[in-house]
Amino acid sequence: MNILGIAWRNIRQRPLTSALTAVSLALGVALVVATLVTGAIVQRAFESGAGLGYNMIVGAKGSPLQLVLNTVYFISKPIENVGWDFYEEFLPAARRADGVDGKYAASTGVAVPTCMGDYYRSFRVVGTNSDFFGRLTRGDGDPFRFSSGENFRDDDFFAGVIGASVADSLGLKVGDPFAPTHGADDGKVHDPFHVVGILERTWTPIDRGVFVNMEGFYLQDGHAKPLPDGVEPDAPRAPAGEGPAPLPAAQREVTAILLETASLPGLPPELTAMGLRTAINEGRDAQAALPVAEIRQLLDLFVRPLELVLLMVTALVVLVSALGILISMVGSSLERSRDVAIMRALGARRGHVLATVLIEAVLLAVGGGLVGWVLGHGVVAAIGPWIAASAGVRAGFFSSAPEAEALLVPFLVLLAILAALLPALAAYRTDVSRWLQGPG
Amino acid sequence: MSTPVIQLEKVRKSFAMPGGGRVDVLDIDAFAVAPGEHLALEGQSGSGKSTLLNVISGITRPDSGRVVIDGIDLARLDEARRDRVRADKLGMVFQSFNLLPGFTALENVLVAMAFGSGRPDRSRAMKLLGAVDLGHRLHHRPAELSTGQQQRVAVARALANRPRVVLADEPTASIDAAHQQQVIDLLRTTCTDHGVALVVVTHAPEVSVQFPRRLRLEDFNRAAAAHKR
Repeated sequence: MNILGIAWRNIRQRPLTSALTAVSLALGVALVVATLVTGAIVQRAFESGAGLGYNMIVGAKGSPLQLVLNTVYFISKPIENVGWDFYEEFLPAARRADGVDGKYAASTGVAVPTCMGDYYRSFRVVGTNSDFFGRLTRGDGDPFRFSSGENFRDDDFFAGVIGASVADSLGLKVGDPFAPTHGADDGKVHDPFHVVGILERTWTPIDRGVFVNMEGFYLQDGHAKPLPDGVEPDAPRAPAGEGPAPLPAAQREVTAILLETASLPGLPPELTAMGLRTAINEGRDAQAALPVAEIRQLLDLFVRPLELVLLMVTALVVLVSALGILISMVGSSLERSRDVAIMRALGARRGHVLATVLIEAVLLAVGGGLVGWVLGHGVVAAIGPWIAASAGVRAGFFSSAPEAEALLVPFLVLLAILAALLPALAAYRTDVSRWLQGPG
Repeated sequence: MSTPVIQLEKVRKSFAMPGGGRVDVLDIDAFAVAPGEHLALEGQSGSGKSTLLNVISGITRPDSGRVVIDGIDLARLDEARRDRVRADKLGMVFQSFNLLPGFTALENVLVAMAFGSGRPDRSRAMKLLGAVDLGHRLHHRPAELSTGQQQRVAVARALANRPRVVLADEPTASIDAAHQQQVIDLLRTTCTDHGVALVVVTHAPEVSVQFPRRLRLEDFNRAAAAHKR
């Protein structure tokens, strides 16, 4: 039996007090862990907007944050639309009707248009072209993969691809029809599309998206931009074949353009992006936003202070639990005095008794803390399905906030030592002769 | 004569009085216990018995004089080293046995070993308890043991670190007459078996009379003699 064994025996000697102390600490730690992990999940959810194969979003003038939130995370309403002709400024000559490079084509690597405003059930509908899944990525540069079916073809106007959460939630399969509604749930029901592909889960907001061929999107009632009086629509952009004719360019609009900027010869990519952004923002047609920068700003301005407040509240809970340790230790100090005196008489040094009390507190704190850690992760696992369904991000038992959680044990040890210091010093100063004195 | 296991020379100890001034408790010119010797120290209440035991065990420092335990002068040691000497050289048996209530009989012996120089030796602890007929009560706590069994645990614990001397402070004071003789027999037999010196402090003449050497504190502690006068 060593000091650790003696401390453990002391804990077992007072099972109810020890258990209550550990449980109160466990609850505090569970709250802290759940807060830390949820905060980390939120942060990762926002940071998942990076590495999607584009570094800039172009949309109507307004709040750049709103543009990013709406385009990347499907949060908030679209600001407005920009004209098709502006989108074409990013296209090379080969993809334009006039055969001339667009104004920004040299600075553009990839430009993918998106159109928003419709819903299917509670999920956002995004009109786009096949480049969305062909040239963008699911995050960290990984290409999109399909759990069933495939990407839609640009000439299959009424084809759609759905995210994993949509498929799970609505039970849609490849070949199933679905009819989006105009605007909110109670809006006018559009013509049906059919599912041609279901994406593998990406743990990003993409999982909650319903992506349809924008050619079909444009043909829905209310989606064509009204032409000014006296202006005739252009001729159809492509042979109509047996299907419907595509909407003329003059009546098209896009909600956002996802851009991967190119490097101009002799310029680093960052400078090219900065130059393109400045050029767009100085114009009157649109704004350019950098999603990573906007999200960082959002996190710094709102999410982190909120996290800090939550952490302070939970830290107070842990401090109250630490007071529990102190009270438990002080409460047992009288009954401990006699035991300490016996041990001192048997040859225990003052350092032994000091260490025994401190180790006892540390065991209680670390034991309670570990239970709380498991409990905290259990809470996150329990609400994980809800987070995944509503935010499209992975949240399970093993979700973690590694940096903050790594500090948990040293923090608990420090807390326990501070809480137990007074009772430990009292034990240290125990007067052996007073407690063991006989009548002589 | 071989080196004494306990040797006191010109030891004085006094305590401050609450109202001021000091009271002398120990004033001993010379006191020694030989290896393996069994000695009864008789003294009335207030004669300085407990203070003497505390000074011998290094818990209390004398104001002056030398306290030498198995050749080690305690005056030269700091408190931690005195604690180590106490753990290694002395076995303690208290008036009410003072077993640790939350620990089993075996753990009570192992705890004592934890403070000595050697490593806690579980098999030796079991052997010691077996020698006092407690092999079947190893995992019982003091509350689950009879008074006689508690006494035996206390004796086994006193021998845990192979001490040179066992100090027993009024070991029969809080038990009935029927058990008193058992305790004395147990202490003497066990110490004899282990070749350990035994100092029993008692105020009961019927106990001290059984020891080959008896001393009254008043005979060699001038402070006690002065109080008596």
